[in-house]
Amino acid sequence: MKVTNTRLTGFLATTFPKIAFGIGILGAAFLAFFFKQDPHHFYFAYLTVFMIFLTLTLGSLFFVLIQHLVRAGWSIGFKRIAETLMSNSGLMALLFIPIIFGIPHLYHWSNAAEVAKDPLLNSKHAFLNIPFFKVRALFYFGIWITLSRVFYKKSTEQDSSGDPENTVKMQKYSTFGILLFALSITFACIDWVMSLTPHWYSTMIGVYFFAGSVVVALSTISCIAQILRSQGYLKEVLTVEHFHEIGKLLYGFNVFWAYIAFSQYFLIWYANIPEEIAFYLEHFKGTWNTVAIFLVLGHFVGPFILFMSRHAKRNLPFHFAITLWFIFMQMVDMYWFVMPNFNINGFHIGGVELAALSCIGGLYLGTFFTRLSKQALYPIQDPRISESIHLENL
Amino acid sequence: MSKNTQHNVHGVMAEFKGPREIMQAAEHFRDAGYKDFEVYTPFPVHGMDRAMGLKPSKLAWFVLCGGATGLAFGLTLQTWVATSAYKLTISGKPFFSYQAFVPVCFELMVLFSAFTAVFGMLIMNGLPRWYHSVFKHSTFHKASSHGFFLCIEARDKKFDQQASIDLLQGLGATNIEVVED
Repeated sequence: MKVTNTRLTGFLATTFPKIAFGIGILGAAFLAFFFKQDPHHFYFAYLTVFMIFLTLTLGSLFFVLIQHLVRAGWSIGFKRIAETLMSNSGLMALLFIPIIFGIPHLYHWSNAAEVAKDPLLNSKHAFLNIPFFKVRALFYFGIWITLSRVFYKKSTEQDSSGDPENTVKMQKYSTFGILLFALSITFACIDWVMSLTPHWYSTMIGVYFFAGSVVVALSTISCIAQILRSQGYLKEVLTVEHFHEIGKLLYGFNVFWAYIAFSQYFLIWYANIPEEIAFYLEHFKGTWNTVAIFLVLGHFVGPFILFMSRHAKRNLPFHFAITLWFIFMQMVDMYWFVMPNFNINGFHIGGVELAALSCIGGLYLGTFFTRLSKQALYPIQDPRISESIHLENL
Repeated sequence: MSKNTQHNVHGVMAEFKGPREIMQAAEHFRDAGYKDFEVYTPFPVHGMDRAMGLKPSKLAWFVLCGGATGLAFGLTLQTWVATSAYKLTISGKPFFSYQAFVPVCFELMVLFSAFTAVFGMLIMNGLPRWYHSVFKHSTFHKASSHGFFLCIEARDKKFDQQASIDLLQGLGATNIEVVED
């Protein structure tokens, strides 16, 4: 095997992270300005953007766990990108701090006077109260940071030692890791998003966010891999066959997302119970209805038809465009889920949303590329690397 | 060309040692311009489609049409039933409640696609059939465990019995036999 360049150097390793951090800090300055103007609006916009990047991080964590769990060989070339993305869980924990301060603005159930006169909120008080909320958040981030640190460390250690024992250990950890992941992502979504409308409940929401997070993570991994390839990296480990494989997985998870989204909507529509249907009535109000239809067509119907064919998945420029589109649709999805709680009558993109996006996005990408340049771009000593290189789709 | 007009010859068939050898042989025949030749292996050999110069199957397009038919059928049937044939008010919802139609449309789409895929595959493969000429080859029973076979069929425009035998011999094949219908 001819190894060209396994380390990220040049623009993406040095200048780009600086630009990204610069944009992040600029965004933070704008956010501070918007916070003074309207803290209420600020917190909702911030939570929306936070959820976009959190789902991306958790989806990448899932990708790493599931690849170890099923002992997959095809994905080795993508693995370091996913591992670096999931390592941003520490950054996400830091970025969660503003949300702690925003609890009174975001969450209706935190208001003691409201809880006292509302029997439903009163009955949920044992779970939905500020101290327990904080403890739970600590617990979720504890799980995510521990899992991502352990897997990142074991994998990068193997780069120099070449010890196949590391792979065996990671496979072992991935078993209970995936259980912890499933429980933590479900409860995190219940806490941070579902409790925005504390009367509402849905048994689907955990799976809904999980499906969306895997779609956005696979898209981002594939997208970054193509960017790196265009700069001449990863060419020896990633071919059109690997992009075809990740395309299939992406396509499948997108259909799964649609299935879950419809199941959630369908059961609530069908039963028509006041506490449940209130969520959809709010989210279909005014121009939010347009956003919902756009989500159905843009997230599901369009890609379902356009990305179905094998030729579409193997056409790399088209594949790249689709991954960018999926990332955009995840943003729309999170926006549609969170923002109707603030902009009740219809959607409205203001400066604060864009400032939050550039703040969190800048810091996220800056951290990502800095960390990516510190290690090889793929696990060079992985025992399955040769299996991965010879991948071929039947 | 008297040999081409012999109706009872199915083709020339030979055995190869392993997947690599048979792949090389297939590439050779593809490059020599042969179209109608078949390869029999105990397991799928990656890259064989390319080595044989096979085009992607048209079945996918039939399945797409089948799925679209199922979708349209499900939607039409339910619309007709719910809005004109048997108007029933169900939990106060409009007659045309497309939300409720989705699962049935989905299921019919899957059903029609699956039927098209299975039956289309059988028709395109010419199955079921009682008998195939290749079973006349003396060692063909190995094809399900460890034998790799290549058969140049007589219907190929370039088919020439002696030339095929020579070609196969040149490629290191063993058990070269002329199989008859």
